[in-house]
Amino acid sequence: MARNRRPSKQMLLLVQALCARGREWCHGYDLMKETGLMSGTLYPLLMRMTDQGLIEAEWREPAQVGRPARHVYRLTTAGAAFAQSLDDAEAAPSSKAAFA
Amino acid sequence: MRAAVARALMALATYCLGKSRGDWASAMQAEYDEAAAEGRQLDFAAGCLIAAAREMPHHAEGRLTIADHALALGLLVPMAFLQFACAIGLSGGRKGVYAMLAMDGGRMPYLANAQFSALPVLLVLWLLLGICHLRLAWLLLDRNWTGVVRAGAMIASAALTLVLMVVVLQLQAVFLVPVVGMLAVEGLGLFALAQWDGRASSGALPVGAVG
Repeated sequence: MARNRRPSKQMLLLVQALCARGREWCHGYDLMKETGLMSGTLYPLLMRMTDQGLIEAEWREPAQVGRPARHVYRLTTAGAAFAQSLDDAEAAPSSKAAFA
Repeated sequence: MRAAVARALMALATYCLGKSRGDWASAMQAEYDEAAAEGRQLDFAAGCLIAAAREMPHHAEGRLTIADHALALGLLVPMAFLQFACAIGLSGGRKGVYAMLAMDGGRMPYLANAQFSALPVLLVLWLLLGICHLRLAWLLLDRNWTGVVRAGAMIASAALTLVLMVVVLQLQAVFLVPVVGMLAVEGLGLFALAQWDGRASSGALPVGAVG
């Protein structure tokens, strides 16, 4: 689904964090710590971007026995293209500074 | 205590997300364990509840849940307390069974005697209406439509009996007119919700659709 609204600052932070990891999967709690977003902001973004095909999610077996399986996330090809378009347009100077 | 509150918030978040977002509820629950290991379970759980609440209007099941709660808490529960108020005379003397009897008692002694004899039945009917409304609200939130139909039939029967008694006993009960109107609104609301729930359950509506 094509986005026709300017991405929010929180969305830019999330895209930056995922983009920095490339094709590597990451957990939701790790994304919270990296971006500084609270779960109340992060999860609606993850849901929306997954629905839009920008992020893919899958279940991974836990590293420790007795822990539940965890969701992991990464950008899809469309998500990576979206991140690239943001970079090209230099639409996220503040979020770049935050990661500098 | 913090852990118990956090678990309660997570359970509420899972409820708000519903079946259509069940995967996301499980994902949050898995990350909750990570947050709990770092002592941040309460912040995390509160955030998940906010996320779930924000998500509700965006999917059909969430909108249905909001509508259920709006009807149950916004109409059925207040109606229940209105019936209790009528029964036990909390309406400041202008409404309720005692006010009805006091208005006509002095003119026709025989009629007044009949009215006073009917007092226990009127009280029981009003209390029954109140209790049935509370039961109906609970059944609605539980999506127990068979129970909703039964409770609705009980309310309709009690209301009809009440109206008949008021007419036969020639009681002054103009205030019953809006109450009967509200009962009709309740019925229409319940019918609409049942139709909506039926369409969502049969898959006619895209349950996970973004609105």
